[in-house]
Amino acid sequence: MGHGEKGRPSKKPKFSSSKDDLPFDDDDTYFADAAAAEDDLRDGDKEAKKRDFSKLELKPDHDNRPLWACADGRIFLETFSSLYKQAYDFLIAIAEPVCRPESMHEYSLTPHSLYAAVSVGLETETIVAVLNKLSKTKLPKEMVDFIYASTANYGKVKLVLKKNRYFIESPFPEVLKTLLKDEVIGRSRIRSENQHGNDGFMISKAMGEIETSHDELLNGAELAVAAEEKEAHSFEIDPSQVENVKQRCLPNALNYPMLEEYDFRNDTVNPDLNMELKPCAQPRPYQEKSLSKMFGNGRARSGIIVLPCGAGKSLVGVSAACRIKKSCLCLATNAVSVDQWAFQFRLWSTIQEEQICRFTSDSKERFQGNAGVVVTTYNMVAFGGKRSEESEKIIEEIRNREWGLLLMDEVHVVPAHMFRKVISLTKSHCKLGLTATLVREDERITDLNFLIGPKLYEANWLDLVKGGFIANVQCAEVWCPMTKEFFAEYLKKENSKKKQALYVMNPNKFRACEFLIRFHEQQRGDKIIVFADNLFALTEYAMKLRKPMIYGATSHAERTKILQAFKTSREVNTIFLSKVGDNSIDIPEANVIIQISSHAGSRRQEAQRLGRILRAKGKLQDRMAGGKEEYNAFFYSLVSTDTQEMYYSTKRQQFLIDQGYSFKVITSLPPPDSGADLSYHRLDEQLALLAKVLNAGDDQVGLEQLEEDADDITLHKARRSAGSMSAMSGASGMVYMEYSTGRNKQGLAKSKPKDPSKRHYLFKKRFG
Amino acid sequence: MPQVRIIAKNFMDMVASLPAMKLDRLYHNSFICEAILRSLPPLAKKYVLQMIYMEGPFPAKSLEEWVLADGFSKHKVAIDRLIQLRVFMETTERKKETSYRINPTFQSNLQKHLTSGGVLPREPMPSNITVRLPSLEELDAYALEQWECFLLQLINSSQAEKLTNFSSSMIRVFQRGLLSQRDNKDAPRLTESGFQFLLMDTNAQLWYIIREYISNSEERGVDPADLISFLLELSFHIMGEAYNMNTLNEIQRTAIKDLADLGLIKLQQGRKESWFIPTKLATNLSVSLTDSSTRKQGFVVVETNFRMYAYSTSKLHCEILRLFSRIEYQLPNLIVGAITKESLYTAFENGITAEQIIGFLQQNAHPRVAERIPSVPENVTDQIRLWESDLNRVEMTLAHLYDEFPSRDVFDAACDYAREWGGLLWEDSKKMRLVVKAEIHMQMREFLRGQKQ
Repeated sequence: MGHGEKGRPSKKPKFSSSKDDLPFDDDDTYFADAAAAEDDLRDGDKEAKKRDFSKLELKPDHDNRPLWACADGRIFLETFSSLYKQAYDFLIAIAEPVCRPESMHEYSLTPHSLYAAVSVGLETETIVAVLNKLSKTKLPKEMVDFIYASTANYGKVKLVLKKNRYFIESPFPEVLKTLLKDEVIGRSRIRSENQHGNDGFMISKAMGEIETSHDELLNGAELAVAAEEKEAHSFEIDPSQVENVKQRCLPNALNYPMLEEYDFRNDTVNPDLNMELKPCAQPRPYQEKSLSKMFGNGRARSGIIVLPCGAGKSLVGVSAACRIKKSCLCLATNAVSVDQWAFQFRLWSTIQEEQICRFTSDSKERFQGNAGVVVTTYNMVAFGGKRSEESEKIIEEIRNREWGLLLMDEVHVVPAHMFRKVISLTKSHCKLGLTATLVREDERITDLNFLIGPKLYEANWLDLVKGGFIANVQCAEVWCPMTKEFFAEYLKKENSKKKQALYVMNPNKFRACEFLIRFHEQQRGDKIIVFADNLFALTEYAMKLRKPMIYGATSHAERTKILQAFKTSREVNTIFLSKVGDNSIDIPEANVIIQISSHAGSRRQEAQRLGRILRAKGKLQDRMAGGKEEYNAFFYSLVSTDTQEMYYSTKRQQFLIDQGYSFKVITSLPPPDSGADLSYHRLDEQLALLAKVLNAGDDQVGLEQLEEDADDITLHKARRSAGSMSAMSGASGMVYMEYSTGRNKQGLAKSKPKDPSKRHYLFKKRFG
Repeated sequence: MPQVRIIAKNFMDMVASLPAMKLDRLYHNSFICEAILRSLPPLAKKYVLQMIYMEGPFPAKSLEEWVLADGFSKHKVAIDRLIQLRVFMETTERKKETSYRINPTFQSNLQKHLTSGGVLPREPMPSNITVRLPSLEELDAYALEQWECFLLQLINSSQAEKLTNFSSSMIRVFQRGLLSQRDNKDAPRLTESGFQFLLMDTNAQLWYIIREYISNSEERGVDPADLISFLLELSFHIMGEAYNMNTLNEIQRTAIKDLADLGLIKLQQGRKESWFIPTKLATNLSVSLTDSSTRKQGFVVVETNFRMYAYSTSKLHCEILRLFSRIEYQLPNLIVGAITKESLYTAFENGITAEQIIGFLQQNAHPRVAERIPSVPENVTDQIRLWESDLNRVEMTLAHLYDEFPSRDVFDAACDYAREWGGLLWEDSKKMRLVVKAEIHMQMREFLRGQKQ
């Protein structure tokens, strides 16, 4: 075919609105710039850039076509069009969804999204042809150029591990020649004896793409081209040089990023793992779809699958492992979710008990036989310090083994350097990243694309809600006016460090929270999670309301105990969680979230927290559109009016709003007639509380310093500390620490000390 | 500058406000009689038709007997309207017996009109003279374009592609109350009513302009009654037909050029003759000016994420949406914008209210979402209202400050006194100062005088 070569590779895309002539090679700046432009647009840049494309030519039958395409890559899709379903499937494959509410979706073509499109087997010509077919207007030339320019290099080269030999494969021999001219790659080539052709490339028939859903949009002639069987040319490289070769192919060098595929069916070297999905495990349609993107051509592709929390990510992970049937290394963010993953594997697959093991600071198991599943944390693998003898042995095994699948949970939380380390430490044929929210305030998401692979699939939240697969959540923002006294202190300059404590401890907010807890516990019998980032507030609230709480310093054993009680006991219906509860703690029973303080403007945190209650509850028919219950889960965000919180709150909600959720504003909570039966009714109580806040040390009332993620945009710019590796596991209490297993740790874990904020301080000092 | 309150009620209100003499003169034209009849509330229509062949006064009491008890308010409205328009004339007999008689001119003209039908002063021109008349679609497009052009010029937008023939003085008349200019250097800004004007529907806007046009006619030496009668007559012409210009008198000829600028009329010229073609806007005059419920199709979709998609090719729509939202993309037939806090604050500053914006969005909801309840997502409307009420949190109260009290006792007593009267707004007991509402200032002064002694 070779159309990729003539596809104007030298053309520089005019895409970014602010700097039109950025060279494409300069990938990092380019992405950053595109991201910045995007951000400007969303976040109300003062001189809102108008984009006038009214001169585009409308096709005469534009009414029947579902989308508009703009020269800057933005695509608008009508959801009520008769071609919506096909167009949606297509767009989700080639473009990044920007927002997906009910009537009109917005997508954005980015180099990443096109990279992902190419890697799941779509070709440049197909992309342009289908897009043109769907568009109401003639495609802007800039967009066509951009597609050509972006796909000219992407997806042309694959790195395939076959029978433990690494091959670089491409349907275009010219591309391979270009690669070989590079010194590093040229040197790593292994020449085989039986050479075909004059280039010395091996030629094999690659299997055509199985999935042909987009082809129906093409006419017969185009279809014939698309279905033609492809010849793949390849050469072998030295396994020890794989990392270097990959590096050379990245956008900042040769710009032929390699797709990784694993021909697991023909892998005879690595022992098979005997595991199947149990018959009871029925993947849902969207889970099937995401898997089909991964195994589209009979091989396993590396990449990321994005599903909302509670939509069954773990089943996708387990299913993938069952298809590959090789040893699998599963990485989670903390010990609690390690337990949960191990449980999921046992639940959904027929894996033998002794073939699955957990590797955390508390439990160091090893599987028997020559293949198995290891579940551990990122931290355990990447830890750079001294380890105990026992775990050194295990880690050595992990390093030496060739893993069929590297399954990575919550990839959005883990910083890039962590990934680099983990990926370079472990040898794996295929990497699958799972996440609910591919947003990061620091736009580090770029790294994931090249470290793990392109985004293979992203589900539409609203569709899943309509299908009854995830809960239908009523989101509300509760406006709590500051009391006079608190607001006066809030405005004082000398309290600048206490601002957060002041607006979180606002008595009106406390009363609203108490009211909501009471309402949901007593009237509806719900299970409630209260989230507070501010540790001072967390303890104050929890103590005053006499509810159990979990935060960074709570030991693993105690966490498990509290969560168990929450799940089973009728007495414990509310728990207070700090940031540690944001990710991967699975609490399927909860259906109400009250958020009293949060991490500045983090969109991701908001989405993650919402995810805690997304697991669908009740009967399916009640949940379906038009079912008995309109809403079966509730998400309240309590905000003190006229404070910074209002600003952050708007920012935080952006992701969910883009997914089609709407936040209802409630202004009258607690109801005016609720008097002394809620706390802090009398002024002297409020003043006492105020005094308490003011007297607390600045470091006590601040945010909980977990340092688990570098995902800040706001307030405390770059609060990334150098030592964050040790606290990276998502919960400092479970950080890999062999030296604390003795008396010390028991002392810490025994019971709640009298002053938790003080303990936290100590904790920071010791391990932070 | 006098603040013009825009009451886009209807044409007939204006007719009703004409002096009696002029009104009577209008009724010499049978078309006007019919137009008036059409415009009446249903009950009033019935009264007129029942009394049309009745000679002499009719006692009010007998009329009231026709009505059921619960319909009395409607009866009242109908009678008021009829009297306003001088269709009914009230006469009071000696015994305080009120009776009505129908306006004789109106009566005889309507009788004639009913029996023989009306004949327009002019007939459509035969098609062999008029070559290639515009199709109805073309005519609609022309009318809309012309009207938009006029509006764009009116709001001084640079977007107007061509200018109308209105003299700048005439345009200024139209702009009176819609635009304001602080000083000559500043570009004129839309006033509160200007914004409201733009958010109204076309019929209401048209009516506002026509009203200004009529009420300004005397300055141009034209009798408003002539103009009104011509406009009403025009509404009985057939849309899309050509009418010869030479059937018009001098006043009408000038008027028709202005109307062409507004898009009510399309002018065409043949080899010898020239003619005018009424558009939808003109023929709708008598209908639409009384009944503004005829809705044009909506075009706006508002999503829960505050994004707004307007299916429109109109630059005017774009300008209107820009009043309260941030326009992000303009496509051939779609305008994409976002309703943001900042954009709304600008709108509020300019005097647009949340209700007007919400009303506009709801009235113009795209058919896809119009059936949905609510057509504009609740969270969006709530938020718009909340942002508005957020701006209105400061309340002004006229007040007086008292300080330099001779002793604490006097201060405390004063505070208690003010509190008793419910007029204490603020007190600072350290510095012994207090602020009381202006209403109780006099009592307060008296009280303090009493304290001194």
